[in-house]
Amino acid sequence: MSRPANPNAMQPERPGRTRTAPPQLPPKFPFSGRYRAYTLFDWTGLIYLLLGFLALRVVWALGSGEPAWNHVIRDFEHPLYIAFHVLSLASLIFAGVRFFRFFPKSQLPRVGPVKPPPQPVILAGLYAAWIGVTVVFSLVLTGVLFQ
Amino acid sequence: MKHPLLKFEPIIWLLFGQGILVGTLLLTGWVLILGIAAPLGVVDALGFSHAHALGASLVGRLVLAAVIILPMWKGAHHLRHVAIDMGGAGRDAVVAPLLYLTALLGSLAGIIAVIRL
Repeated sequence: MSRPANPNAMQPERPGRTRTAPPQLPPKFPFSGRYRAYTLFDWTGLIYLLLGFLALRVVWALGSGEPAWNHVIRDFEHPLYIAFHVLSLASLIFAGVRFFRFFPKSQLPRVGPVKPPPQPVILAGLYAAWIGVTVVFSLVLTGVLFQ
Repeated sequence: MKHPLLKFEPIIWLLFGQGILVGTLLLTGWVLILGIAAPLGVVDALGFSHAHALGASLVGRLVLAAVIILPMWKGAHHLRHVAIDMGGAGRDAVVAPLLYLTALLGSLAGIIAVIRL
């Protein structure tokens, strides 16, 4: 009488010794070669986190009334805030370009019968959305749109 | 602390991914106008009543919530990876919950800020 084979039948009773090298950081890590962009991309996380909390401060001030709003707007004129925002803009562009470059490559080759558009089309769409949203949002924030 | 984090990993990754995508799309104009152009006098900043009217609308609240919340999660998740890359995974059990708790509290404060507009 036959029965299903046991896939672990030939497994040794004890695991054998596995020789592994001690972990080592690659010589170019963290700021040389290709690691530089990788590390900087990770560090943009700090900028995004701070921008999130800064946006929280702005919206909280907006909900607190006109004096609080004017206070925040005045605070933003401080050179340190302006320097931070210039650094933030550079970080956003760097992170955006890097992420958008990865995005088309990370798409599934097909979902059921549906295939995604070619990679250059996805990339072009992302850049068009980025430019479009930035222009519209800038026009809203300067009062040109939705007066 | 590792097990609950693994359980929430799909949600964290979703917020992280949206943090880069939506955060980058929205924050570029935000930083350009509110952070650079208006303070330098290149353009006029929105007056309070106009800003409040825009922000208090349904779409305005959703956009403001996205501007606050999503970048925090992108930031927390990437900083976690900075900590792992620079200091090893040994401290991850402490660093990861701390960062995600910061993002969570910031998100809750963001929701409250948007509701009270």
